[in-house]
Amino acid sequence: MTRLSHRIARHGALIAVGALVLVPVVWVVTAGFRTQISLLTAEFLFTPVLSNFAEVLFSKTSDFLVNYRNSLIVGLSSTALCLTLATLAAWSLHRLRWPRWVVHVFLGWALIFQMLPPVALAGAWYTMARTVGLENSFLGLILAHTVLNLPMALWLMGVFVREVPIELEEAARIDGASTPVLLRHVVLPLAAPGLAACAILTFVFSWNEFAVALSLTMKQTATVPVAIAKFAQDFEIRYTQMAAAAALSILPALVLLLIGQRYIVRGLTQGAVK
Amino acid sequence: MTMERQRRATRRQTLVGLGASGLTLAGTTMAAAQAKVAPITVVINQSPWFDSFCKTVELYEKETGNKVELDVNPFAGSLEKQRNSVRAKQGQYDLLIMNSGWFAEMYFGGFVEAITDIDPGFKLDPDVFTLGDTVFFDPAKKTMSRGGKLMSVPISPLIPVLYYRGDLYKAAGLTAPETFADLEANARKLHKPPRLYGIVQRGARGPATVSFDFYPYLYGFGGAIFKDQAAGDYKVTLNSEQGRTALDYYIRLAREAGHPKTAAMDQADLIQNMVTGKTAHVMMVIAAWSQMDDPTKSAVVDKVEFAPTPHAPGLTTAPGLGHWLGGVAKNVPDDRKRATVEFLRWYQTKPAQMATAQAGGIPVSAAIYREPIADERKYRWMKPLAQSLPHAISALNFPEAGEVIPILELGLNQAIAGETNSVVALNSMADQIHAVMAKYGYNTGKLPNLT
Amino acid sequence: MGERSLAPPIATTTATGPVGAARRPLHNDLLARWGTFGPALLLMLALGVLPLANLVYTSFHTVTWSDGRATFTPAGFTHYLALVDDPLLRAGLKNTVVFAVCAVGGQMLLGFALALLCSRVSRGRVLYRALFILPILIPGIVIGAIWKLMLNYDFGLVNQAIELVGFEPRNWLGDSATALASVIVVDIWHWTPFCFLLLLAGLESLPQDPYEAARIDGATWWQELRYITLPLMAPALLVTFAFRLVIAFKVFDEIYLLTGGGPVTATEVVSFTLYQRFFTEDRAGYGSAMAVAIIFLCSLLLVMALSVRRRSEGPA
Repeated sequence: MTRLSHRIARHGALIAVGALVLVPVVWVVTAGFRTQISLLTAEFLFTPVLSNFAEVLFSKTSDFLVNYRNSLIVGLSSTALCLTLATLAAWSLHRLRWPRWVVHVFLGWALIFQMLPPVALAGAWYTMARTVGLENSFLGLILAHTVLNLPMALWLMGVFVREVPIELEEAARIDGASTPVLLRHVVLPLAAPGLAACAILTFVFSWNEFAVALSLTMKQTATVPVAIAKFAQDFEIRYTQMAAAAALSILPALVLLLIGQRYIVRGLTQGAVK
Repeated sequence: MTMERQRRATRRQTLVGLGASGLTLAGTTMAAAQAKVAPITVVINQSPWFDSFCKTVELYEKETGNKVELDVNPFAGSLEKQRNSVRAKQGQYDLLIMNSGWFAEMYFGGFVEAITDIDPGFKLDPDVFTLGDTVFFDPAKKTMSRGGKLMSVPISPLIPVLYYRGDLYKAAGLTAPETFADLEANARKLHKPPRLYGIVQRGARGPATVSFDFYPYLYGFGGAIFKDQAAGDYKVTLNSEQGRTALDYYIRLAREAGHPKTAAMDQADLIQNMVTGKTAHVMMVIAAWSQMDDPTKSAVVDKVEFAPTPHAPGLTTAPGLGHWLGGVAKNVPDDRKRATVEFLRWYQTKPAQMATAQAGGIPVSAAIYREPIADERKYRWMKPLAQSLPHAISALNFPEAGEVIPILELGLNQAIAGETNSVVALNSMADQIHAVMAKYGYNTGKLPNLT
Repeated sequence: MGERSLAPPIATTTATGPVGAARRPLHNDLLARWGTFGPALLLMLALGVLPLANLVYTSFHTVTWSDGRATFTPAGFTHYLALVDDPLLRAGLKNTVVFAVCAVGGQMLLGFALALLCSRVSRGRVLYRALFILPILIPGIVIGAIWKLMLNYDFGLVNQAIELVGFEPRNWLGDSATALASVIVVDIWHWTPFCFLLLLAGLESLPQDPYEAARIDGATWWQELRYITLPLMAPALLVTFAFRLVIAFKVFDEIYLLTGGGPVTATEVVSFTLYQRFFTEDRAGYGSAMAVAIIFLCSLLLVMALSVRRRSEGPA
């Protein structure tokens, strides 16, 4: 088994890197409790104030709580939709007998689509959305975010789905399992850790997405990044309020990470056969 | 949310009115006269002066019963949203609050409808600053001068002014600088690096960073980028003798009385240096005034004074415009256009402008600057601003300005960073600007190269 | 590692293709195939084809607006040819390649190392995972703003820390020599969680048998890594790398707030030039050509990277 010194070295390295990672994050969060002048002069000791959080959450011109809710709706929906479509399609492409060219073209096309910069996409999608009246709706943004993250989810789930030993699937087939049963009880449980990681990333990308969200939303449907961007104004960057808003915006993703991963994996592995 | 609920939400008043104690409405005589009109949607960006605009709109709603919906966007996205809306068949926004960076695009592209076309009887209040005559536009000649149609009403007249440390001036027995020579002398006197810099200027390359800082110097020395924009003469005159004097001065000031890293300074750095007390002067847009006296944002509360930007002897101050204009979108129904004009008609009146000033905004009407409010300590920036506004310059009045600005940004940045000298920089910039103007078919020409 | 119980592979199945498919009624098979692939295909077609087609179409035209309407004037290959002369683009390409290679390389190495370490500790894994994920949870615009403050010459945290240990403060973002490196460091800090998360999930999905066999044979950790982990992780590594590279080519928020492309053109990256030309200067035709060219270039790089890997590892 592992020697104690090995264990200490491992933990030591992890903690050291963790500290480096943590310093800017702590800085952001504590910046939310400072006054602007305190932040600009970077004084080490400061008296905390709550005005930034109050301004972000409760001021008349701020809809942060509404934005929060909107981001949650869009984030959770698009993640669920994206992962469902991606997992099904990835399994289909790699496990069902599709002609090779179909697989290569579709995956290649997805990859190329991922290279498109958001500035080029936002305008085109706005025009499309306006034609069907979806330019200020959750549905429009959810679909847009799903498509934005689909290529990456597709490729990643491709990796994780292929790690399920094909013999297990064949065994289940022999036992007469239909496709849904096969997916639910054999493939998903084994791909669960990958699925969870993919879900977290998709949610985070959707949560932090700015360019498309800006184009496809107005006041009532605006998301958190649009709200945060409002603190970077033409003549000043309201650092402390931006930091307060950022601190608040980290929370859901963090909660999802800590709790969600365990539950996603557990929920999916329940019902694993054999 | 379904489309139906969206529509209802839009019509609902989204701004809560202030309590009666906040603003005295009784003084206005407008209440009874205003007609009931269609609700309008305004696209505007979040900014220091937005709060005051918000309060002014609330007052309008209270007085007239007309509904105004504000769609607030980050500055970084305001242009994108406006473009999306005006280019669609049916616009989402009725009143476009356009920045100096893109109103030319809106005018030239035919996206803004002339106010006098919607309401021939509309008269711009004679007290309202016309801000380099940029509120006018001649669609045939494609120039901005008084002979053109009235396209917009000024919303926020933002120009740079000189912020200086009144307390340091008093201690050193100095008076507010008028000429560039004065400024240089004062800056040198107070320059005690690294604790205190004489002046901090912008030098960084950005969307409209160093070029915006340079305009007051260029035009203040009598130089210009083009010969006569208002007449459609786009001969490039950047690399004139005055241009060289201005750039040499700018660089000398930076090197001998300024920040050692001027080539990397942007707006945020300027503000940071001023509020932390590290510089004696900045030339900065007036909108930052409110930060100076806010104890949560500034370490120099009540120590900052204001003056118009300096000029060469015999010439006038010449700050560059970074203003906001309000125009009516063309692709919206007629009743909403008329409603928007009603709002603009109300906005330029003296009571409305006074409300803006009291809410912390920057009025566009000279009438306010003659009122007692301009003598209050809190509003000590008003008199210098009022002095400067009639001379404000709009440097680039055409839609392809977006291609010219990066040329200026890069060229000036290189000169300030010491990578090129001023002569090479000016000649190169003039060359490239000339190429752009020629490419788009403007009436352009060039000066012989500086030597 | 993975928390699942594996039954030993069943020896009765044949090795050639899925058994039992021939016995299945045809319509069920079709339903399964299209039911699983169809939705994704449909969505990608509906929302993906139009923007890309529009982009390619626009790249061969010049777009002007007057009277509230757009005019598309055919321009042939003019825009593509003009790309070669674009000074910002030339600087941008070099910077982008350097940025992409160094940043992505750094993130992959660091992310993989952290994932390896994390996968081998038995306690506190959840905590470490939460800790290392944090940077990617923060929106890009905030990262740009905050790091700009931290790297500030006069007041930044980094310079303050450096002065404590006795070094000279430096103008990290304003000095051509250090600007790109600083942006790369910020990017590594921001995106290593991406690699870490995916590679950790990959490591956790690996089968245990090869490792047990190796342990019996007495292999060192280096041999384990080289002969078991790396080959098994190859797909995950490749996909993570590919997507991280593609995303790195699109990096924008951070650069916008950190340096704006400066000093001069030291941190000008391709996506920034694209934003400048396509959006700020409103040259839709030229910008579209640039976007198409960037996609082409990115694909080329990926194909090159792929073929290098394939050649070095032999038939998969």
